[in-house]
Amino acid sequence: MVDSKKILRELAQHPEFGVLISLVVLATAFASITPDKFLTIPTLYSALTLASELGVVTIGIAFLMITGEFDLSVGSVYALVPMMVAFMVNSGVDMLIASIIMLLVAFGIGLLNGVITIKTGIPSFITTLGMMMFLRGILLALTGGFPVRLENPHWLIYVLNGSIGTEGLRTGAIWLVIVTAIFSFILDWTPYGNWTFAVGASAETARELGVPSAKVKIINFGISALMAGLAGLMAFSRFRIVDPTLGEGLELEAITGAVLGGCLLTGGYGSMVGSFMGAFLIAMTRVGLVLAKAPAYWYRAFIGVILIIATIINMTIVRKFVTSG
Amino acid sequence: MSEKKNTTLIAIAIIGIIIGVIIGYGIAALMKPAPTQAPTQPTKPEFTFYYVSHGGPADPWWAPVIKGSQDAGKLLGVKVVYNGPEKFSIQALVNLVESAIAANPDGMIVTITDYKALDEPLRKAINKGIPVIAVNVPDPRPKGERIPYLSYVGQNEYDAGYYLAKYLIDTGYKPKRVIIGIHEVGHIGLETRAKGIIDAIKEKYPDVPVEKLDITTDPTKAAEVIKNYLTAHPDTDVIFTLGPLGAHPALQVLDEMGLSGKVKLLTIDIDDTILKAIEEGKLLAAVSQQPYAQGFLPVVFMYLYVKYGIIPPEHVPTGPTVIDKTRLEDVRKQIATTGGA
Repeated sequence: MVDSKKILRELAQHPEFGVLISLVVLATAFASITPDKFLTIPTLYSALTLASELGVVTIGIAFLMITGEFDLSVGSVYALVPMMVAFMVNSGVDMLIASIIMLLVAFGIGLLNGVITIKTGIPSFITTLGMMMFLRGILLALTGGFPVRLENPHWLIYVLNGSIGTEGLRTGAIWLVIVTAIFSFILDWTPYGNWTFAVGASAETARELGVPSAKVKIINFGISALMAGLAGLMAFSRFRIVDPTLGEGLELEAITGAVLGGCLLTGGYGSMVGSFMGAFLIAMTRVGLVLAKAPAYWYRAFIGVILIIATIINMTIVRKFVTSG
Repeated sequence: MSEKKNTTLIAIAIIGIIIGVIIGYGIAALMKPAPTQAPTQPTKPEFTFYYVSHGGPADPWWAPVIKGSQDAGKLLGVKVVYNGPEKFSIQALVNLVESAIAANPDGMIVTITDYKALDEPLRKAINKGIPVIAVNVPDPRPKGERIPYLSYVGQNEYDAGYYLAKYLIDTGYKPKRVIIGIHEVGHIGLETRAKGIIDAIKEKYPDVPVEKLDITTDPTKAAEVIKNYLTAHPDTDVIFTLGPLGAHPALQVLDEMGLSGKVKLLTIDIDDTILKAIEEGKLLAAVSQQPYAQGFLPVVFMYLYVKYGIIPPEHVPTGPTVIDKTRLEDVRKQIATTGGA
């Protein structure tokens, strides 16, 4: 008994614990409703495909949330980057160069969010809300509301989101795994990861300990926007068309993913693997409900309930095991 | 400290690039429409009409409508002021209608997107002596109760869905299972289109299952939801989408699954991608609302009424027109000249 409690305590030290429980419970439920359709490789791949763009955005936002800040402009960056790349490629620029330029611009937009937030002391909620509207407005004004199509295919689209095999696996899913691994490594194994946690827990204390708080926050804003841009390019690579409304509402879904994955809104706590699982949970729920032949309109209500329940689990764990320890 | 300065410098440099790119594109975008507007308007406009709709710049469907209204204005020497909220909002639409009334124009052309919200302001306008023509969305109430506008120009959403589904049935095809991908759940126009489709199919084949799918405006979600539905229900043989936001991912996913042409795809509203798909046989048919006509015609009717007292017919339909392979040429011309179909 004592041993199992110890194991539980050990497990609960990980922010992924709550989302893992939710994942297992839901997967079991779906599997028992439609065992023949849910427990298949194509279903797994489909959920991974659905999770890939959302997941990459979620990873970026989660990294920023651990430093205690928010980014609502990710949905707009998600559309801006592929839109500009499409413009550039259609006017003759190589897609690789266009993509690199626009990813740098995305990083720059993130830094700008950070600089404004830190220098003025405005809450990032407001700064990035403004940025979200500003960028969306630019997109609408430039396109007149029309979608922009990539006229000629380019090898890069197969790298970013090409099809592998016949069962529905896409390179987008691999990108998600790579991005998760990289940021997991940074967060858990490098001094920069320690700084990120420290700044999120208390920016003041971190500064007193010699951590360049402002710099860490600003860079993490950049990372969040950069990931949103990469995810946008992934979506674009599959459909080769960008609607100016692409990514509307994505910011809330990504925050949902991060929170499901164990990130605290107040910062200082969270995990990349958890965020990955959070995004996967959202995707799996959508796939599972369709396969379970549930009436389509119930999806949102369902996700709402899962979000609240999973957050309660997370909060309980944090209160019981983490803050006391 | 110097590190901090460096970050700031880099940030400023990058901001510079962003602003440069944005301004560059902005100027390019601004330069384009200028020549089309410049050469006309030789004299002071005879009348001023306000065209107020729920369609803002976010929705490409309205671009030809705006163009149609402006072209008609130029031809007739009338000033047409077009207003629409940036994002779909009844409140914003009502506010725009109120400010249009305050400007005291010679005529108003309005989408009756929400007859309850627009009832009071439009009756006020009509009592003030401003003639009103409804466009795109009518007041659905019977004649005595509805807002006493002169005429309604447009198709109704229900018919768009109904005639599209009827087109399929009239080809003699009996569907096994039908899905309707709806990209904005709860959007009354889209739900009404869906209802038209359902009614047309149920009328002839009451036993065929017809299901609505929430495919969202996100292409990845739309594609995977459709894919999973097809996995769960392999007997599905007909997909309806209610706009390009649904049709694009549906085309893509059918292509990926090797089902193009095998699963029949039909949609409402048209763009280049959809026309190409019709040509290649990947998409069976699409409904065109001929939006340019919805911009152009009400201005003409308003002009005839204000200038000569010619009373327009109660309902001037602009569609629905079902486009299949046989009608591609006309539609191409329409798109080339008006920017949409």
